[in-house]
Amino acid sequence: MPKLTVDDLKKIKEEYKSTFTLREGGYRAKITVHMGTCGIAAGAREVMNALMDEMAKENIKDVIVTNSGCAGFCSREPMATVEMLNHAPVKYQLLNPEKIRRIFKEHVQGGKVVDEFALVAGSETSY
Amino acid sequence: METGYRVNLMICGGTGCIASGSLKVKHALQEELAKRGLEKEVNLVLTGCNGFCAQGPIMTVYPEGIFYEKLKPEDIPVLVEEHFLKGRPVERLMYKEPEKKSTLPVMKDIPFFNLQVLRALRNKGLVDPEKIEEYIARDGYQAAAKVLLEMTPEQIIKEVKESGLRGRGGAGFPTGLKWELCNRVPGELKYILCNGDEGDPGAFMDRSVMEADPHVVLEGMIIGAKAIGASKGYIYVRAEYPLAVQRLQLAIDQARAYGLLGENILGSGFNLDIEIYQGAGAFVCGEETALMRSLEGKRGMPIPRPPFPAVQGLWKKPTVLNNVETYANIPPLILHGAQWFRSLGTEKSTGTKVFALTGAVNNIGLIEVPMGIPLRKVIYDIGGGIRKGKKFKAVQLGGPSGGCIPENLLDTPVTYEDIVQTGAIVGSGGMVVIDDSNCMVSVAKFFLEFTTDESCGKCPPCRIGTKVLHDKLVDITEGRGQPGDIELLQDLCGDVINCSLCGLGQTAPNPILSTIRYFRDEYESHIHDKWCKAGVCRTLTTFYVDPETCKGCGACARVCPQKAISGERKKPHEINQELCVKCRSCYETCKFGALKIGPGRLRGELIARAREKELKGVEQA
Amino acid sequence: MRTEPKGASAPVFEKDLLNFPVAKEESKVKGRILVVDDEPIVLKSCERVLAPEGFEVETSESGPDALRKLDNGKSFDVIVTDIKMPEMDGIEFMAEVRKKDPDVGIVLITGYPSQESIKEALTLRIVDYLPKPFSPALLKEAVNKGVELRRKAAPTGPGVLDYNEAIAAKLDEIIARYKEKPGSLIPVLQESQELVGYLPPVVQRHIARGLNLPVSEVHGVVSFYSFFTMKPKGKHNIRVCLGTACYVKRSEEILAKLKDRLNIDIGEVTPDKKYSLESVRCLGACGLAPVVVVDKDTHGSLNPVTALDILKEYE
Repeated sequence: MPKLTVDDLKKIKEEYKSTFTLREGGYRAKITVHMGTCGIAAGAREVMNALMDEMAKENIKDVIVTNSGCAGFCSREPMATVEMLNHAPVKYQLLNPEKIRRIFKEHVQGGKVVDEFALVAGSETSY
Repeated sequence: METGYRVNLMICGGTGCIASGSLKVKHALQEELAKRGLEKEVNLVLTGCNGFCAQGPIMTVYPEGIFYEKLKPEDIPVLVEEHFLKGRPVERLMYKEPEKKSTLPVMKDIPFFNLQVLRALRNKGLVDPEKIEEYIARDGYQAAAKVLLEMTPEQIIKEVKESGLRGRGGAGFPTGLKWELCNRVPGELKYILCNGDEGDPGAFMDRSVMEADPHVVLEGMIIGAKAIGASKGYIYVRAEYPLAVQRLQLAIDQARAYGLLGENILGSGFNLDIEIYQGAGAFVCGEETALMRSLEGKRGMPIPRPPFPAVQGLWKKPTVLNNVETYANIPPLILHGAQWFRSLGTEKSTGTKVFALTGAVNNIGLIEVPMGIPLRKVIYDIGGGIRKGKKFKAVQLGGPSGGCIPENLLDTPVTYEDIVQTGAIVGSGGMVVIDDSNCMVSVAKFFLEFTTDESCGKCPPCRIGTKVLHDKLVDITEGRGQPGDIELLQDLCGDVINCSLCGLGQTAPNPILSTIRYFRDEYESHIHDKWCKAGVCRTLTTFYVDPETCKGCGACARVCPQKAISGERKKPHEINQELCVKCRSCYETCKFGALKIGPGRLRGELIARAREKELKGVEQA
Repeated sequence: MRTEPKGASAPVFEKDLLNFPVAKEESKVKGRILVVDDEPIVLKSCERVLAPEGFEVETSESGPDALRKLDNGKSFDVIVTDIKMPEMDGIEFMAEVRKKDPDVGIVLITGYPSQESIKEALTLRIVDYLPKPFSPALLKEAVNKGVELRRKAAPTGPGVLDYNEAIAAKLDEIIARYKEKPGSLIPVLQESQELVGYLPPVVQRHIARGLNLPVSEVHGVVSFYSFFTMKPKGKHNIRVCLGTACYVKRSEEILAKLKDRLNIDIGEVTPDKKYSLESVRCLGACGLAPVVVVDKDTHGSLNPVTALDILKEYE
C-alpha cells in the first residue's frame, strides 16, 4: 500500500463518510453491534451471529452490519444501534438472538422501531 | 434542480410559510451558510406552497429528501452545523408522522446520555475499530498531520500546556509540563510510552478506549513523539485484555501500511514506530519507573526519582509515559485548540474525565463528564440512583489508592483539587458505588488485601506496613479488635505514607484513613461492641427475626440453604442459631424488614434461650 | 492469583540437607522412591528430606545394585539418580531402567550439567533435573511431581510428560525469535506458558540457558507477575473476579464456596485434575458483576447462594 499524504487522508475521509451518513453509500440502514469485552461476555457474539444469519437468509445487500467497541452502558449489554436512512439512530439494549431477529424484521425491514427493546434514540453529544 | 451544488434546500415561500416566518429563516440560513463558507456547496431556493402550511415554515433538503418543519431563525446555526457541515440531520426539527407516535425517549431526555460530553470517547460505539478508514473519516490523523507538517515541538507543548490537560492515569501531573521536561533533555534516542496497564480493580476505561478506538491512542502518541522528539514507542497493555491487544495490533499494522507509522510519516520526514508490550499482571507496573523496568524484561519494581524518566527512563534514555485516556484527549485538543479544551471543566481541572461507574448503581457503564460536575449528579442522574431496596453509603474513587466519600459530601465537584480534599483521589477513574449492605471496615480490608498482595516487596514500609495494616483489619473484622486500634492504624498509616518509595505504598493507606474519617462509628462498633451492623463480618453478626414485624410469609425459610428457619404460616418465624451459617439470604429476601442484624454475642444468648425453652417444654410434657 | 510470595526466599544449600530432621509421620506412604548415587552423603540427605514427607525411600550406591533391586520385583514410583557414577553412568542406568519400567518417573541430579547429558536424558523422558547443590524444596517438588505423573500415567500406559524433546525444540524456537530483542524475557515466558500450560522449574531453566540469564532472574520474574504460574491447570480453569465491583456484589462469598466445594485453595488443582481455581483482579466486565469465568465462558450476575450451579455444566 502506498504511503499516505495529507490529501489522501482527505480523500479517505470523504470516501468513508458514507459509512456514517448512509445516503452517499446507497445504503438504507446501518446496524452496529457493540462488541467490547463486556458486550462479548454478555453475549454480543451470539447476537451478531443471529444478525448475520438473518441477513444471509434474506439476501440483504443494502444494509451495513458492523461492529464497534463498547457503547459504554455496561448494565444494558449486549447492545446494538440501528440507524435507518434519515432517521436518528436507535440504541437497543439487553439483546439476545431472538430479539435481534425481531428488530431486524420489524425495524430494519419494516421500518418500525421495536419500542420494547429500545433504549434511546439519537446520537450522543461529542466535542 | 441546479447541479454543481452538494445540497439543495427548498424553502417554502407560500403565503402560509411566509406568514409564519420563512423569509426570516431564509435570511438566517443565508447568513449562516456564508459564515461557514458553505454558500458554494449549498443552494437555497424559495419554492411555492407545499400545502403543509400548519407545520410551516417548512424546508426540504435534497438529495436526501429530508423534511424539516416549524423552523425558527434560532434553529439555523445548529441545523447548518449538524446537517450541512457534519452530515447529521437534526431529528428534532424533522417532520414526524402523527399517526405513529413512538414512545421511545431521545438521548437528550435521558440523563445518562445528556450529562455526558464525549471527547476521549468521541468514537465510542461509532467506528469499526478494525478499520482505519472509519477513524480517518471521523477526522482521524488530521491532528497528527497538523503537528507533523505545521507545528514545532515548542508550539505543540505550548498548546498542551495552555489547555491545562493533566495526566488521566491517576496523579494528574500536567501533560504539557512533562513533555516540556523531556523535550529539553538532549538525546538522539527517546521513547514515548503508553500505559495501558489498567490495574485498578473496578476501572476499565482504558480497555474500552483501546478496544473501541485504538487509532486515537496511536495518533496521540505520534503527537507526543513529535513534541519530545521520540522515534520509538511502546504500548504497555495488560495481558488480561486480549481483545485490546488484538485490536491495537491490527491498528498498528494498518497505520504502518498507510505510512502513518514508520519512516517519513505523511512526507514530513518524521519517524516513529510503535510496538505493543504485554504486561504480566502486576499492579505496581502502573507506577512509571516500575513499568519501565517491566518493559526491560525485569521484575517491575520502582526506582527512586530523580533521575526522572524524562531524563533517564527506559534503558536509561529520556522517556515520556502517558496513559491511554490522556492520549485520547490529545488529537481533538490539537485540532480545536487549547481554548476549546478549556471550555469545559474548571480553572485547574480542565476538560472532561472518563469514569467507570460501577457497583450498586442502576446504570453501570463508562461515562465521560465535564470536570467539575458534582458527584451527586453522576451517581443519581447518570447512574440512575442506587439499586432497588438499598441505600447509598459511600462512593469509592481512585481504587486501592483512593478513598470513600460519604453521602454528606456528594455535592463535591469532580476535580483533582476538590476530590483530594475529601481524602480520595480522582485516580484513573474507577467510581464504585457502595450501598448499605457493605461493611466499611471490610471494604478497607479488601483494598489492603489487594495492596499487600501487589506490593512489590522492594521497600519495607510498604511490604511490611501494608501487611501489618491488613492483619490489624482482619483482627478487627474477626472480633479481636482492641481499644486504641483506630489510633494505632492512623499512626501506622502515616508512617507507611511518609516512608514508602513509590505511589503504591504512599497511597495504600488511603482506604483506611478515609473510612476511619467518615465511618469511625463502624470501626468503633466492631471493636467495642463486636458488632458488624451491616452483617458482613460473620463472627460479629447474628441474624434474628423480629417477631413484631414478621408477617410469617415464609419467604426466608424457603431461601435458607441450611433449613435453619422454621415457623407456621402467618406466624413469626425463628432462626435456629445452631444451624445458621450467616449467609444473609434471609436478610436479602425479607420484604418487611423483619430480619435484624444483632451483635455476634447475641447468637450465644439466643441458643441458650432456645435450649431453655426446649427444656421447659420437656419438663411440662 | 499469586502462587509464590514475592519476597525471594533465601536459597537453601546442600549443607542444610544434613540438618534436616528425620521424623516418621503416621500418614500413609505417598510414594516409593529409589535414590541412586555413589556418594553416601547424598543418599543420606535425600532420605532425610523425603522420608518426613511420607515417602518410602530406598537407596543404592550404584546402577547395577539398583537394577538388581528392580529385578528382584521391587517397583518404585520415582527414581532419583546421579549422572556421574563410576560403575555405570546415570544415562546408561536410565536406559536400562526404561527397558524394565517405561513409566517410572526419573529425576536426575548432576554436578556437571552439560547440554549433551541433558539432551540425552531428555530422550529418556525425565521428570526434572536438579543441578547440585539443590534445595530440599526443589527435591521435594520434583519427587512429588514424579509421583503424581506416575499415578496419572498408570491406567493409560506411558505418561506424557510436560517437558520432552518436542517441547524443548519449540521452546528453542520461541527463544530464537526473541533472543536479539532487549527486554525479551517476559514475552518469552508468556509464549512458553501458552505452550506448556505452566512454567515448571525445568522450563524456567531451559529459558534461562537460552536467553543467557541467571536462573534466579527468570524465577524472579516468574514469581513476581501474577500472570505466570508454576502449577499446572485443571481441565476446567475457574477464575473468580475479585474486582471492586464484584467485591461489593459479594464475589468473595462465591470464591469461598468454590474453595469449599472443590476443597482446594486459590492457585491449586483438584486431585482429579478436573478443576483449577484462580482469582483475578477485575476482568472489566463490571456490568455483569459478580463474574466467574470458567475456561472461556463468562458467567455473570451470579447470586452467591446459587453460584455453584454453574459447575453442573462441567460435570
